[in-house]
Amino acid sequence: MSLEELFKEIIIEHYQHPKNQGHLEHPDAKSDGSNPLCGDEIAMELIFDGNVVSNVMFTGNGCSISQSAASLITEAIKGKTIEETRTIMNEYKNMLAGRDYNADILGDLEALSDVKRYPARVKCASLSVAVLDQALQQKK
Amino acid sequence: MDIERIRKDFPVLSRIIRDKKLVYLDNAATTQKPSVVIDAIADLYKNYNANVHRGVYLLAEESTQAYEDSRDAVRRFINANSTKEIVFTRNATEALNLIAYTWGEANIHAGDEIIVSIMEHHSNYVPWFRLAHRKGAVIKIVPSRTDGELDMDAFKSMLSDKTKLVGIVHMSNVFGTINPVKEITALAHKKGAAVVVDGAQSAPHMKIDVRDIDCDFFAVSGHKMLGPTGIGALYAKESYLESMEPFLSGGEMILKVTLDSVVYNELPWKFEAGTPNYEGAIGLKAAIGYLEKMGMDTIESYERELTSYALEKMKTVPGIFIYGPQRAEKKGGIIAFNIKGVHSHDIGTILDSEGIAIRAGHHCAQPLMIDCGVSAMARASFYFYNTKQEIDSLVAALKKSKEIFGHVA
Repeated sequence: MSLEELFKEIIIEHYQHPKNQGHLEHPDAKSDGSNPLCGDEIAMELIFDGNVVSNVMFTGNGCSISQSAASLITEAIKGKTIEETRTIMNEYKNMLAGRDYNADILGDLEALSDVKRYPARVKCASLSVAVLDQALQQKK
Repeated sequence: MDIERIRKDFPVLSRIIRDKKLVYLDNAATTQKPSVVIDAIADLYKNYNANVHRGVYLLAEESTQAYEDSRDAVRRFINANSTKEIVFTRNATEALNLIAYTWGEANIHAGDEIIVSIMEHHSNYVPWFRLAHRKGAVIKIVPSRTDGELDMDAFKSMLSDKTKLVGIVHMSNVFGTINPVKEITALAHKKGAAVVVDGAQSAPHMKIDVRDIDCDFFAVSGHKMLGPTGIGALYAKESYLESMEPFLSGGEMILKVTLDSVVYNELPWKFEAGTPNYEGAIGLKAAIGYLEKMGMDTIESYERELTSYALEKMKTVPGIFIYGPQRAEKKGGIIAFNIKGVHSHDIGTILDSEGIAIRAGHHCAQPLMIDCGVSAMARASFYFYNTKQEIDSLVAALKKSKEIFGHVA
């Protein structure tokens, strides 16, 4: 396994120039989380339009994996229905757990597929979905 | 020092990691073990295993003797007066908790002040934090100066008649700073305060003389000094141990038990409830024997040379920032750093691909991370079996990690 597979260009691009970074005015849901062992932090804010995640932003600090994952996942779910968002999250979790997954649904998020070969780093990649899970539970 | 010959004493150092020779630079977390330690533990189980301080048969006599010999080895290693002053614990953390729950519980009251430094490992902060919370006592924090040394002026100004306890790390597990524990102890004693020294990082790397320091408590961890995990020791002055209530209760810590009364055992066994980790103690004795044979002065001067070399070479990595003292004379072989644009976990993963093991994260010293304005640092820490070539490999890999992430502004 080579480092280039883990630190793909798209990951470094999203780490250095993250999408959807910042805050939303009057978010409908927000949540945050951290990995106590390594100190990665992610906070997410969401706005819903009916059943659609119409906008999502994150703030955080940490390693390239945790921060690029936040950038990529917010890109993936923006404009999607909650149902579609949950499907993306599940496929992403499947990928990180080394199970079969649907690459078409994941799109650019598949760039993080090699993280599963680095067990110590899976938590970094998983933080965003954990935070997103909590935020979605706030949707009535 | 014949490093190549020394390295042969450590089986794991010949391991190949990801097609590369292992470069183990996480010695502040735990050290590797020489064959004499591994063999001493195997020898116990192959030849004389029996529970200690219980049997009247030969095996039990031998294991008890070996266990108590280990205690004397620890006493000699830190130059304590008597084996009564050496209590075996699981590690330095347990030793520090023992003080907090016995001496601290009885002697810290509402309004008392406890002084610790910003450099403390969580193990020498959280027990005092919790004690202060239980008692309504006040914790005061000695800051570090910008050069990574302790702010002694601030310490002096904090000391008062209210100070009941001073907890201080001898060698910082992040900065590597060696704190002036003897001076701190003398100043604290003038105010009548007890002094606890966390020696987890210092005892493996320099000569320790608890009588010269004159501290009241000193904590060590065996696994950071070639010994097995699960064994550590608390040194405490006999007068303190005499006055303290037991920590854990059960077998071994008693002389006599009836349904109405309990008579505690003599020192140091009063503080060792239950079957102790005699396997660990016996391994630790072999570790101490190895260190004494090498000589702590030899170890200290070789590591200083290595640290000086590492500081000089690491400074050539673009964008690197090294925390703590910048000169080897002021510190032990611990170098914490960050590289601009590359998070420490990413450095850790990239170095791992080169077979190099370092630590990344908060180093169980989150207050110090906050003080430095970061959430994580990378850390390389050395022992006497490390070489200058290994530091060259480290520096090359650090440069590579900078390349992978590009030269961001």
